[in-house]
Amino acid sequence: MIEVTLKVNGEEVTRSVDDRTLLVTFLRDELGLTGTHVGCDTTQCGACVTIVDGHTLKSCTALVASLDGAEVTTIEGLAPGEDTLHPVQAAFRTHHGLQCGFCTPGMIMTAVDMIRRHGSDLDETTVRHELEGNLCRCTGYHNIVKAILAAAREPAAAGTF
Amino acid sequence: MTEKLFRHIGKPVERKEDARLVTGKGRFSDDFRLAGQAHAAIVRSPHPHARIRGIETAEALSSPGVLLVLTGRDCLDDGLEPIPHNPVPSTKYDMKLTAPGGGVPFIGPHHLLPDDKVRHVGEAVAIVVAETQAQALDGAERVLVDYEILPHVIHSEDAIAAGAPAVWDEVPENAFVDTRFGDWKGTERAFEQATHVVSAKFHVNRVTAVPLEPRSALASFDVETGRYVLYAGSGGAVRQKRELSSVLGIDPSRLRVLSYDVGGNFGARNRVYVEFGLVLWASQKLGRPVKYTATRSEAFLTDYQGRDLVTTVELALDEDGRFLALRADNISNVGARCVSLSPLSKGSGLITGSYDIPVAALRARAVFTNTMCTQAYRSSGRPEVTYAIERLIEIAARRLGFDPLELRLRNLVPPEAMPYRNAVGSIYDSGEYEKNMDRALVIADWAGFEARRQAAAERGKLLGRGFANYVESSIGTPKERAEITVKPDGTIEVVIGTQPSGQGHETSFAQVVAEMLDAPVENVTIVLGDTDVVSVGGGSHSGRSMRHAGTVMAMASADLVAEARRRAAELFDAPEEDVSFEGGRLVLPGTNHAVDLFELARLTERDHGPLFAARTNEMHTPVFPNGAAACEVEIDPKTGLVEITRYASVDDVGRCINPLIVHGQTHGGIAQGVGQAMWEECHVEPSSGQPVSGSFMDYGMPRSDNMPSFICEIAEVISPTNPLGIKAGGEGGTTPALAVVTNAVIDALRDTGVEDLPMPLTPLTVWKAIRHGAGHTDEDTRTTS
Repeated sequence: MIEVTLKVNGEEVTRSVDDRTLLVTFLRDELGLTGTHVGCDTTQCGACVTIVDGHTLKSCTALVASLDGAEVTTIEGLAPGEDTLHPVQAAFRTHHGLQCGFCTPGMIMTAVDMIRRHGSDLDETTVRHELEGNLCRCTGYHNIVKAILAAAREPAAAGTF
Repeated sequence: MTEKLFRHIGKPVERKEDARLVTGKGRFSDDFRLAGQAHAAIVRSPHPHARIRGIETAEALSSPGVLLVLTGRDCLDDGLEPIPHNPVPSTKYDMKLTAPGGGVPFIGPHHLLPDDKVRHVGEAVAIVVAETQAQALDGAERVLVDYEILPHVIHSEDAIAAGAPAVWDEVPENAFVDTRFGDWKGTERAFEQATHVVSAKFHVNRVTAVPLEPRSALASFDVETGRYVLYAGSGGAVRQKRELSSVLGIDPSRLRVLSYDVGGNFGARNRVYVEFGLVLWASQKLGRPVKYTATRSEAFLTDYQGRDLVTTVELALDEDGRFLALRADNISNVGARCVSLSPLSKGSGLITGSYDIPVAALRARAVFTNTMCTQAYRSSGRPEVTYAIERLIEIAARRLGFDPLELRLRNLVPPEAMPYRNAVGSIYDSGEYEKNMDRALVIADWAGFEARRQAAAERGKLLGRGFANYVESSIGTPKERAEITVKPDGTIEVVIGTQPSGQGHETSFAQVVAEMLDAPVENVTIVLGDTDVVSVGGGSHSGRSMRHAGTVMAMASADLVAEARRRAAELFDAPEEDVSFEGGRLVLPGTNHAVDLFELARLTERDHGPLFAARTNEMHTPVFPNGAAACEVEIDPKTGLVEITRYASVDDVGRCINPLIVHGQTHGGIAQGVGQAMWEECHVEPSSGQPVSGSFMDYGMPRSDNMPSFICEIAEVISPTNPLGIKAGGEGGTTPALAVVTNAVIDALRDTGVEDLPMPLTPLTVWKAIRHGAGHTDEDTRTTS
């Protein structure tokens, strides 16, 4: 067992965990943050993407013990308030960028990071290239790409997480 | 229903379900956890075919944290029944499949765990339950199974060859269905008189649905009440309850199944999985909740798979290119046991496609092999036969010197022939096939192709274009029930037995009820997925949900309005026939008597109970969604890499309730069809019987960087078969895509002389064709790579 302290969605949490605990297991089982999903357990589908210390991280392949002191944002911590969506979340809804919704948290976290880095210059080719590590089986990506491009044009979307 | 201006139907209403799904508040099966839950791991067969001589569990039981180990012998000792899959489609309009020589086919009993033999790699042979997931996995490693390895067979044609190993002793020849349809003599005569006969043989490869959420189940058993609860996402909780209670040998009232958010289905979740029964059984034996969640590799090995049809088709034509007759021989590989014959049956009814072919004959066979079971997968059976006829037409045009589009136009079923009975007896309800075709060519800018081809050639690339028409059928379980309650708090609750897995029922169904009861969409709540609330329901498959649910909700709404008028008449002390329903209010014209539905519910609750209506409806008549699609591909001749540069489709879905949702369904459908044509394959190595596509590293998926944006249009030719005029959406994206992409790739390679290439059209396949032309063989790979 090992003790870890993380700041998750702005709140400091300390837990004693089995050494082999993955970040995603920690979030889902220890903290009950089940919005982060496991679609493949081999770092290929991207349903588990979270933002750790300002960068996207596939949480199914990181040992939580290696992240002591890190700051983690999950899908649950993205919206600014109970009744307000983050602009990327709102864009996914407006443009029907989700169907079953299982890949969606990972898609949104990846998109937030993409928009932070590229801002309003983001174009379709870049979105399609950078989204390659996030799999979706429902949408054919068409409306996801559309939603991300629309969100990138929202001034509020950049740098908020 | 008369044409009128709709307020909610046909509007691109944003989805109600998204608020929870974009904020991480969805309720997927693995998100549930119960106090004291234990974890299950499954011991799986490493062999495609082997006799189980014995299973040693002592070492596993002494492994840290292990609580329980169960095998096929325990399954028999406890009297568990096989899963009652009921695989033969049996509505009035389904093509009737029978055993060779007639009769009910033997399907291979599906016990939760086998006691005699394993019949495919990955088959569950034992369940290990432990305190933690890791301990369960460690325990599973310590279960020792003594196998006697038997010869195996993987491909359907090998399975029906003389001397092939029998998967089931009961069916030594492996072919357990053999049925003939159509007019064999008439077809033979037409072929004898034909100027041209063109034939081809195709293998529509085996793929898997890959819903992004791995299947998962959490079971608990209450010792005091003797009741089981199962949290398990599926295509329909009512079916899971019925079949799993039969497996356990309990009255269905003792099992509650909860299926909330479901992370994709596409057919794979419509049948019962053994693990769902296993966790129920284990939870009862242990007196603790038990959870199982599949890994992605377990999903690749043991999710119900799709397609795998070998089809031989022959087309007879006259000298002008009129189609005279079609003959087909279809062999479906169902895997180790039969869980569904839907693909073979659906395809059987549509072998003539969108074309007016006077006679046809079909032999349909289904065979067992030592592979995972196949099931209906998105657009069950229709992409297979669409591929066969649309590829055959392309080959015929090329061999006989016809323009492929002209050849299609000359033979399309015309709108004035609707309803049209095809040569195997399916009755197409409505459709304007030529109009679809014209429109698809316009939005794909078919006419601008030559300029783009030249521009690509200047860059050293090969541009090709492909086209296909399609018609498909939506039949599905005929029964559906809706219960509608108007609540005094201003909401309307609708209980319905379908089960969405991303199709947006909570929104589109609410639009229908809001329309009928003249209420805001946001006030209507759809309740699904809890068998304690939902008693009847066919689930979601075969594009049935919107049509069946829409119809029964419209009927129940009409009943509700009638009940409201009765109550209002009493309230107003006026004759019932004088009360009218306008703008969501009950009104007595010429007076100031008026009350809205919610207020009426409040005022009359004490005397008459909740303002409520329920209706169960059975609807057998199928509908035939149809359309056309075109695409362009650009090939790099140096590497064989294919890029899809353009994809356009026109889909007649009948009345469209929510275009935002229908377009989304079409996009996803296209991606799944394109995926099969381009990358996807559940490859099983024939000599070892080992599946080699076990992860996202070796199963090619549609990704954001290999898919184009789509150009899609909805055509609404209202179906005369149901009150709302609905056909179905979503599967139409998939149905023509296999043929469209293949036709485009072959077109790009026209200078090589290659007439056909097998799916998936990987760079290696395409590169070999470019390098060696029509004469390429598999040997070439070895000698040149």
